[in-house]
Amino acid sequence: MTESKARFANKMALVVHPDLEVLMSYQGTLAKNGISTVVARDLPTALLAMTQHYFEIAIVSSRISEQGDGWTLAGVLRRAFTSAFVAVLAPETNVPNLTSAINSGVAQLYRNDSPVPDVVASVLTAAAVPQDR
Amino acid sequence: MPISPNMLIVDDEVNVAFTLQMVFESEGYEVTVAHSCAQALKKLADGRNFDVVMTDLNMEKEDIGLDVARAAQRLKPKPVIVICTGYASVSNLGSALDLRVDYVATKPADLPELLGALRRLMALRTNARSTSPR
Repeated sequence: MTESKARFANKMALVVHPDLEVLMSYQGTLAKNGISTVVARDLPTALLAMTQHYFEIAIVSSRISEQGDGWTLAGVLRRAFTSAFVAVLAPETNVPNLTSAINSGVAQLYRNDSPVPDVVASVLTAAAVPQDR
Repeated sequence: MPISPNMLIVDDEVNVAFTLQMVFESEGYEVTVAHSCAQALKKLADGRNFDVVMTDLNMEKEDIGLDVARAAQRLKPKPVIVICTGYASVSNLGSALDLRVDYVATKPADLPELLGALRRLMALRTNARSTSPR
């Protein structure tokens, strides 16, 4: 078992994104690191998953059904799972998105077009540090 | 939320700092003001607890307010850290995100929104402290 597999064994991640292909890609890459992943394409499914699991990691698109709804979900995730590492995928790393990230309590912001393995590697490295914001 | 939360306001524009001081004192905060990063670092180092540290970014130098945020981040218990700036950029906000700043307000600040955010963030902090393992 690799170091990251051991560290994240039995941990759960939530990935919320409207694109099924993206969801499958994150689920597969996280699984390779020993992380069970619940995926959701919409807010009701994400909220239902939040009532059923404890998530240590969440990766959320800034746009799920409509512009900006991912930021709200990210803020809710931060408050519901206070020790979770919450990352948001946004079209651009610009001032409005960085402001939304900080004000939602998000730990990290990634561009939508970042390669999935790179995002997962970065998330796993950062998530190993306690989230005490 | 503490009965009278302690707040450090850091801004090199005296009029801005004074206005913010009046606003927050009228909301029940006990406010200490610093007009430079150097002054703020001294106040943070003197052992007093602050519930909120709100800092401008560009003072003696561009983005030096991040040094205030960094020093505030090391305090125990950690205060709510707010950056209030008219010069937000990808670079300074990226650093603020990495520093885990709690809130960013763009000048001219929307005061009702800022006050609401502070109430929420302080309540979350108080809750987290009261439920953390002893």
